[in-house]
Amino acid sequence: MFTIYKKSFLSLVLLLLFSTACHDLEELNVNPNGVDPINAHPNLLMSTVITTTAQRVVGLGYGDLAGVMQHTQKDGWSSSHNAYDWSDQSWNAYYGILRNDDELRIKAVEMGLPFHEGMALVFKSYVFGLITDLWGDAPYSSALKGEQGGASNIKPSFDAQADIYAGILADLERANELLSQAPDTYKDINPSQDVLYAGDVQKWRKFANSLALRYYMRLSEKEPGIAKAGIEKIAGAPEMYPLITDPADDAAVAYIGNSDVDSWPNNTVFDGTGGSNFRRLKMCATLVDKLQSLGDPRLGIWAEKIDIPLEVDPEMPDGSDEIINGIRKVAPDVAAQYQQTHGFPLDLDTDYVGLPPSWSIVPQAYNLNPNLEQAPNNPHASHLNDRYGNASGPLLKSRLLSASEVHLILAEAALKGWSVGESAAYFYEQGVAASFVTWGVDGQFKSYIAGEGAAFNGTLEQIMEQKWIASWTAAAEAWFDYRRTGFPALQAGTIAKRPVLPVRFYYSLDEIDFNPANAQSAIDRLETTSHTAPDANNSAWSKMWLLQGTGKPW
Amino acid sequence: MRKTFSSTIYNPMAILWMALCCLVWPMDILASDAPAMEKDLKWRTINGQVIEADGETPLIGVTVMVKGTSTGTVTDIDGNYSVEASETDVLIFSYIGYQTQEVTVGSQTRIDVKLSQSAIIANEVVVTALGLTREEKSLGFSVERLEGDELRRVTQENVLNGLAGKVAGVTINSTGGTGSSVSMVIRGATSLSSDNQPLFVVDGVPLISTLNNITEFGSRNPVDYGNAISDLNPDDIENVSILKGPSAAALYGSRAGNGVVLITTKSGKKSDGVRVSVSSNTVFDQPFKFFKRQYQFAPGFFSFTPDDLPPGTTLTVNEAEGAGAGIELDKGYFAVQWNSPRDANGVQVPTELRSYPDNVRNFVQTGITSTNTVAITNNTDRMNYRLAYTNMSHRGIVPNSDLFRNNLTLGTNLNVTDQLTVSANVNINSTGSNNRPASNRGTNPLEWAYKVPASTNILDLKDYWEPGQEGLQQRTPANGLYNNPYFLANEVNNSFNRDRIFGNIRANWQITPTFSFMGRYSLDRFNEKRETKIAPSYTRETNNGAYGIVDLNNSEQNIDVLATYAPKIKNFTLSLSAGGNVLYSQSSFISNSSKSSVGLIVPNVYSVSNIKAGALDFNSARTEKAIYSAYGMANIGFKDMIYLDLTARNDWSSTLPKENQSYFYPSVSLSVLANEMFDFGRQVGLVKLRGGWAKVGNDADPYQLYPTYGDIGQWGESTRLSKSGTILTPNLRPEEATSWEGGIDLSFFQNRLRFEGTYYEVENRNQIIRNIPIAASSGFDRININAGLISSRGWELGLGFTPIQTNALRWDINTNFTWNRTRLDALSDGIDILRFWSDAKGGAWTYVGDDIGDIYDAQVLKVEDPNSPYFGYPILGGADFEWQDISAENTRNKVGNYNPDFILGFQNQLSYKNWTLSFTVDWRKGGQFISQTFRYMAEDASTQYWLDNLINPEGRTGQELRDWLVANQDQYILNGFHIVGGPTAEYGGFPEDFSGVVVNDGYFIPGVVQLPDGTYIENLGDNNPIPFLPYIVSYPWQFASPSLFDADFVKLRELSLSYQMPNNVLRKLGNIRDLSLSLYTRNVVLWTKAKIAIDPERAFQAEASSGNRGTQFKQGIERYNVEPWVLPIGFRLNFTF
Repeated sequence: MFTIYKKSFLSLVLLLLFSTACHDLEELNVNPNGVDPINAHPNLLMSTVITTTAQRVVGLGYGDLAGVMQHTQKDGWSSSHNAYDWSDQSWNAYYGILRNDDELRIKAVEMGLPFHEGMALVFKSYVFGLITDLWGDAPYSSALKGEQGGASNIKPSFDAQADIYAGILADLERANELLSQAPDTYKDINPSQDVLYAGDVQKWRKFANSLALRYYMRLSEKEPGIAKAGIEKIAGAPEMYPLITDPADDAAVAYIGNSDVDSWPNNTVFDGTGGSNFRRLKMCATLVDKLQSLGDPRLGIWAEKIDIPLEVDPEMPDGSDEIINGIRKVAPDVAAQYQQTHGFPLDLDTDYVGLPPSWSIVPQAYNLNPNLEQAPNNPHASHLNDRYGNASGPLLKSRLLSASEVHLILAEAALKGWSVGESAAYFYEQGVAASFVTWGVDGQFKSYIAGEGAAFNGTLEQIMEQKWIASWTAAAEAWFDYRRTGFPALQAGTIAKRPVLPVRFYYSLDEIDFNPANAQSAIDRLETTSHTAPDANNSAWSKMWLLQGTGKPW
Repeated sequence: MRKTFSSTIYNPMAILWMALCCLVWPMDILASDAPAMEKDLKWRTINGQVIEADGETPLIGVTVMVKGTSTGTVTDIDGNYSVEASETDVLIFSYIGYQTQEVTVGSQTRIDVKLSQSAIIANEVVVTALGLTREEKSLGFSVERLEGDELRRVTQENVLNGLAGKVAGVTINSTGGTGSSVSMVIRGATSLSSDNQPLFVVDGVPLISTLNNITEFGSRNPVDYGNAISDLNPDDIENVSILKGPSAAALYGSRAGNGVVLITTKSGKKSDGVRVSVSSNTVFDQPFKFFKRQYQFAPGFFSFTPDDLPPGTTLTVNEAEGAGAGIELDKGYFAVQWNSPRDANGVQVPTELRSYPDNVRNFVQTGITSTNTVAITNNTDRMNYRLAYTNMSHRGIVPNSDLFRNNLTLGTNLNVTDQLTVSANVNINSTGSNNRPASNRGTNPLEWAYKVPASTNILDLKDYWEPGQEGLQQRTPANGLYNNPYFLANEVNNSFNRDRIFGNIRANWQITPTFSFMGRYSLDRFNEKRETKIAPSYTRETNNGAYGIVDLNNSEQNIDVLATYAPKIKNFTLSLSAGGNVLYSQSSFISNSSKSSVGLIVPNVYSVSNIKAGALDFNSARTEKAIYSAYGMANIGFKDMIYLDLTARNDWSSTLPKENQSYFYPSVSLSVLANEMFDFGRQVGLVKLRGGWAKVGNDADPYQLYPTYGDIGQWGESTRLSKSGTILTPNLRPEEATSWEGGIDLSFFQNRLRFEGTYYEVENRNQIIRNIPIAASSGFDRININAGLISSRGWELGLGFTPIQTNALRWDINTNFTWNRTRLDALSDGIDILRFWSDAKGGAWTYVGDDIGDIYDAQVLKVEDPNSPYFGYPILGGADFEWQDISAENTRNKVGNYNPDFILGFQNQLSYKNWTLSFTVDWRKGGQFISQTFRYMAEDASTQYWLDNLINPEGRTGQELRDWLVANQDQYILNGFHIVGGPTAEYGGFPEDFSGVVVNDGYFIPGVVQLPDGTYIENLGDNNPIPFLPYIVSYPWQFASPSLFDADFVKLRELSLSYQMPNNVLRKLGNIRDLSLSLYTRNVVLWTKAKIAIDPERAFQAEASSGNRGTQFKQGIERYNVEPWVLPIGFRLNFTF
């Protein structure tokens, strides 16, 4: 009896122990839920890098920088858009893109995939270019090495802006080489993963060279010698350095529109705010007035006409204010009262009315708007064209680099007297024409370019003005041009944080907190201006190396 | 099928209960005048005296009970007693510090008894690690024991709520009302990688109970589905032992770092024959106190009066404007409102503007919770068992919210031979709800009940569909912008069902009198389904609503073996044990839902196939983990005077790299009974000194060593993989917590005065801290590290006394005191700050060297020059002409700490004859919290508090006003946020010219404006450089401090009055015994220092901390966690037959 119990008891215990204890501890800790990096083809990272960069570019150029460049104004939650109320601008997302891009590049090198390596270098240049354009000095040569461990890799040193630009130009030169090999060199290209050019190597090559052109011109005020040599090198050898000259080759990423994560920002389709995010965006008077003075058909593509025009009716008794036949008529004393309160008259334009830049802390009150809540409908000011409320559409693209920009860079170079093959006028017209094609109004190009104001007058201001217009929804590039040239000559409004436009982003508190010594030395290298205070050196009104000594933009 | 509340409340149990209620009182009256019947049953009155065995001293207050019943009495001042009993009864004489005696009545009518002192006063037995029972005196560490009855005095849906206020060193928080996750933290939160929840062990089965049980389907619909510990039925609990420190818990290894809660369920052991016991109780939660919203102004930006506008202008309320600074209500003004009727021409007719201050009160309902239990027990020589069934059903105070639980428990114990015992426990339970209301903001019905315009009667919204658009468009004051709280309550349904089975089978074999062997297999497995259906027209899901479903599976298996050798040695007691444990756990989930805001193809069809392919969010994952352990322990006792415990354990965990997989940790503890060594006299019952030292190792979560690529979602046809931004740690080491504690336990005057004191220190090293932010330029923005030193220290004091102990009356008072501090001593090279969360422009973060829990805020830009006449004045300006801020991250402006200074618990029990009154009160002193509810409402000019704190210039202007403000500058200028003026002329609002209309709602901030040359101009009411601003923009949004409140409170945790039916009455009811009835209330907030009617204990946001630090919630902040305070009234009935 005793032994039976003993045996059965012990064997039960042992059975249980072994049945459970046979798990190999290390095998148990192999993560079944993600893709092992060893098994992943670089193709799988390609779309990630392209689309996340594309979303950043729209985030800048359709976001606060569109406010700075006076394409748009907001009338709700508007202080950073209209008044440059910035303080802590994070570059985490940019370095996050570079993490994936670097992984892609390293894998491509290991696997001997020149297309992927070239494409990764183009995006490395594009994103580092944005970082240094926006902030100035930044970690570059020692960036992206955190995984290797050690304090210096977790706290990378900052490279001088000049060295970053030099690195970008060298990488793009290398990308051009990698992307110009015999077609059979390329393998493993998965066109559906290349959401930019569907695996068309030649187009990538054009993108690389066009981006180099952009960065040579970026240096034109600070390092004119380098800029001239670089642009002449590219423009002088179109076989060796093909460029994006046809809008069909534009580096533009279309939105999908399936859900919020792959849709045009602030659309009303997936909006949980009752359309508030879209509604709070209005056209800016600076752009509207310029386009109207030029008779520019692009205005109708981008903006919506006002709902109810205003009219001052001298016949009406004092205090009268009523809507008659779709027109809001007010008595002269109402108009006068408005002008007295705000210091400018009512805008009685019957088609398009833009909000003046940074004009009020209650921007929704513009033009006698009866709805004073934040982000209202304003029947007397132009909303953006309804298409921008869609999740996707043929014109809703992130525009990384365009033929129009390439032509206008060459126009500027020609104007400087650099040897680029054709005249400034030729490139100017090509640039404007390309933009008209992009926005689907090419039929009206001929009459437009003949018109007063649009016909080339031989000035840099006009070239930059067209570049500024063509940069709609991609205003970052217009801002960088403005800093370099001072054109278009924009003025800050009355409630702007400073009386002049900002010229850079603030280094973020994260970087200052977590990489303090390196961040501080970069901050110390910024040049303070009369608009820096009360910020310390790290101000949107301090000048980075690129602007130091140029006297631009102010 | 949908469960309904009514079917469960009118169940047979409830009817029986009501019938019994009617019977009880008449019976009591009958009892006194029916002696004749008693004689027939050979009842008699037994008298006697109880005296000390070694003297003639009468003993006062000795309990004399009739065995197997609750009939009894206590001896009087002369030791005399008198009790009714029959000749077959056995009397039990018990007295603390003395050996209990039993005497059979037989034919005696007088029974005198001599009680001898027991060897040790406090010879209570407690359950300690691995379920071993030990005499409390022999323990060198603090173990807190609570009897099940103490937990059940008032009924709690979650057993943890029954512990609040009763145990020193324990902090209880919850994210919401019934069914929400309840957090229990022992001796302070010392782990930065886990949610700091203790390990729960129920009858030897470790129970998986985590804090983060949030699922969010649909945009802003976070729902807390409650933690696993809530599956436990409080009615099944025999007792709870809380092992607070690593010393006590060392044998549980890795997971015991946060303490262990050992729960023993009831068994049939004490049953004399087949017994059926029934318990039924119902509690009504009556909401009585609400967040202080203002009901004085209609929605709007400007508080027009008819006088402000040109004659003949019709006032209009624009409900689309959320802000509460519109036209004043109850002034007899008429205005066009959203629901104003239309005249024949379809033009809306103005209606009177009235306020509806009872809107939220009208929205909520009385919560009802009914819990019924039936248990059958039996005990024979060979076996005992207990089989119990409990049904709990709850109707929430938010309409259409509920919670149900069914528990079936079987516990058996079988003596196979004299040497071999086999026992098994099985718990099967099912917890579920048709709808759990969402917390936070978004679909939270309470949030929107508070947002109903002050000028709208909430009852007008009760029919929540737009006529003609039923099922498609909710009816609100402004469609697309507002949510109707009734719509949210009824048409956003977050249901869940969790089926759990846990239990064990255990064999104990006493091979020889000194050698025994135990083997045990235990299992905890659950399957949970959570499903969300959001009807069309919720404002953040405008594309036909939303749908989501997730299936969660978890299981944990443990196999334990333990051999024990306990030889008998003269003067010594010795017990040596060695054992092993294999743990294997796995979890998995599969989830499908519509992506946020994308919605469904066809409205009102809730299935995965009704989601567009590109809009489907799908995910699945599984994890596995194993730990192998070997351990040993030795308990050595000498002459009942000194006890020494030694333990050692080694774990091998799958979650650590091979070279660090194995880790060892020992513990030692000592208990010295000075009263056994020295003679302190008769009045000193116990003088015990104790101390312990322990180390506990801990492993990581699975898969923390090597990175994988994640999928960030398709872009059209393309796949997007992404490398994680978190640097993992291939050479992860185990965590190590080292602690020591020392204490003293005293008992005097026959235990009528009791004291327990413990001081402890814990040092947590090598913590696996996840997601520490680093410079993103490294390519990574987070890193997991093994780092740091976090130390805790604290005091736990307990003082109990029994001021009155007479024949009929006994009064016990127990107090406990908790003081804990946790400090961040070190992190890692170059990382000197740990951020828990950033929110409301401030945040909770800790700098190395500081205490955990500090709250920081942005700082007001002020005049810094001490020689300036304006020293300390705010410098106004910026884009909004208000206070300017230096952001919180950029300064070190500490404004509070979310941890309490101390907690004092106070328990009273007063018994008089058959009546017992008990109450528990606890007081939290110190600490702060941020109320985002307040902040959001104040920004919308909707709090009463902000209105109450305006400075009314009372007609002063110009120089007079300026001088008055300066004269009172401490009050009005230097400290805090003050504005002069308000929404109307009565509040002192200044005239403000806006768009041609003058409104008296202007205010200004007393301060100065800095000129470019560095000089200041006054903004003090006399020629202000800044124009008057409208009241609506007066709240200082850039700062957290205006929404920071003190968290001090006093709560009445429990108050119960119970009546034990006398035995002689019960006899007339036949077999019924132990019948008791009680009336109770619970968790009543008596006082809070913050006067905004938010429960500071709910300042606990069910949202992963920023930085995603594991599963921790945001502490010290709440956002729309605003269930009204309730006054519960509960009834309870117990009986056995």
